[in-house]
Amino acid sequence: MINKKTIIWIISLALPIIVLLLPTSSFPIEGMTVVEQRVIALFVLAALFWILEPIPIYATSILIIVLELIMISDKGLNFLIADKDVEGFGTLLSYKSIFGTFSSPIILLFMGGFFLAMASTKYRLDQNLARVLLKPFGTKPSMIIMGLMAITAVFSMFMSNTATTAMMLSIIAPVLVYFDQDDPGRISLALCIPVAANIGGMGTPIGTPPNAIALKYLTGTDAISFGEWMAFGVPFVLVLLTIGWVLLNTLFPARKKEIKLEIKGEFLKTRKAIIVYITFAGTILMWLFDFVHGMNSYIVAMIPVAVFLMFNIITKEDLKKISWDVLWLVSGGIALGLALGKSGLAENAVNSIPFSEFPALLIIGFAALLATTMANFMSNTATANLLLPIIAAVGTTVISIEPLGGSKMLVLGTTLAASLGMALPISTPPNALAHATGAIKTGQMAKVGLIMGAIGLAAVFGLLYILNMVNFF
Amino acid sequence: MEKIYILCIEDQSEVLHSVLEHLSFFEGHITIEECESTAEAKQLINEIDGEGDYVGVIVSDHAMPVQTGVEFLIELNNDFRFVDTKKILLTGQATHMDTIQAINQAAIDKYIEKPWKKEHLVELVSTMLTEFIIKKGIPYEPFLQVLDKPRLFELLK
Repeated sequence: MINKKTIIWIISLALPIIVLLLPTSSFPIEGMTVVEQRVIALFVLAALFWILEPIPIYATSILIIVLELIMISDKGLNFLIADKDVEGFGTLLSYKSIFGTFSSPIILLFMGGFFLAMASTKYRLDQNLARVLLKPFGTKPSMIIMGLMAITAVFSMFMSNTATTAMMLSIIAPVLVYFDQDDPGRISLALCIPVAANIGGMGTPIGTPPNAIALKYLTGTDAISFGEWMAFGVPFVLVLLTIGWVLLNTLFPARKKEIKLEIKGEFLKTRKAIIVYITFAGTILMWLFDFVHGMNSYIVAMIPVAVFLMFNIITKEDLKKISWDVLWLVSGGIALGLALGKSGLAENAVNSIPFSEFPALLIIGFAALLATTMANFMSNTATANLLLPIIAAVGTTVISIEPLGGSKMLVLGTTLAASLGMALPISTPPNALAHATGAIKTGQMAKVGLIMGAIGLAAVFGLLYILNMVNFF
Repeated sequence: MEKIYILCIEDQSEVLHSVLEHLSFFEGHITIEECESTAEAKQLINEIDGEGDYVGVIVSDHAMPVQTGVEFLIELNNDFRFVDTKKILLTGQATHMDTIQAINQAAIDKYIEKPWKKEHLVELVSTMLTEFIIKKGIPYEPFLQVLDKPRLFELLK
């Protein structure tokens, strides 16, 4: 009996192997090298593994890096690279640059974000901020939902969307129990949190991994600073949050007249806690005012790491809790992008497709729609890992996109679109957690997620249009 | 994938039967095993551990011939393989002394008095299962349906 898992394994392995065994001439890319063919096989493997998930997504990332080291690096398996000087073999990647993806500044920027989040959770800054910030919203359900969404969104800009969702759900969990089973307010209360977490991640470069991956392709003149990202990201988040709030309150208005959320605790006033508060605020300020001190966001991100370790705020035991899965998932994406770029494949492949004949708007629309669709069914990060290297190449080679903002615009649009996949419980970890509360049916989540996805895409195009108007690109 | 077991130990078959019926909530996600004596239980947990699977929760009666539940749980608590196993004592006959022993030496996690309510039992076992899964670093996603969500959110944040 062949079960689903076996079929998935067969498909995920067979296709890349077929790609590897075909003669080079059978590809519609002129003058394709052996290295490029191997990169195509790796890309197909990555795509299938990330979509069908025969193994965890972070394991796929590591697999890609290891296969790159063995198959296309200058210190790879000897008989695989024996022909390296033969014409048509292509250029091998330096093994150091592949290893470098583990410690890319982007990875360390994200790690800095983890340190901030870990320290603020440990010293209850998040919980206490939530308590204080929720107070002014009173007890009216629609206002409470607004408060929850605002706080969730702000937190998810600096903490992982998943951790934020878990924290916020633990705040509302006691209240959910006392709701009437048929009060629609239960649904809006539970659903507002993942919606806000998914949206909030778009607000900063460290809000969600796809943003970090985008930074890899936003270099040189295309670079976006932390402050610049927030300058358009935060208003964009605000618009989507408002729409989400109206949508939830229209679709699932609460019948209950009053919700009382109780969050216990008080701000810690110990020396360590105060160091955490100052470092947190200081890091964010430094991220925003890079034009004053000249340090880029990657360098700033290392300051809280040093401070928290110096003062034993993050201990040896805490260090073990770093989400290596997220960091390595991104590393794999960077490595895949590196292989596509350095082998020349991305550019050659894009050149062999007559993109220039397509209207620029069609390319942008298609890229964004594809990103959102894929992200609904698979990890947002994996979506960005697969799409962005190609999208970046399209952006630089297709001239008709230039007046609309070029590669920078296309990468940014696709990245934001990858965060809009939130229709299903499997779309994002926050969705899965909220669905687990039992308050939301999949259909209800899909309804809100699809509407938010559609409006979100329209908002992305609006944002790109405005950014182009103000000569941002 | 590794399996997680819930073990029920009870010498009176009709009581055992009703515990099992109440715990049927977990079926499909967790394997539930029944034992009529601690000797049988020991053999079973050895097998489970040998297979590389997990003994997640043990629900044990106290007053049983040959070896009491508390004695068995103390033994278990001193076995490195089962230190993390969640231990629930389900009894109506434990004396004051037994109870003190159960807490101090067996480090039991929950104490349920007979007669019990189904919802109460299921709720406690679900909470224990959630804590066990997070403690052991087992991916929690496949078990979401039978876990204690508020506890899970607390542990994940």
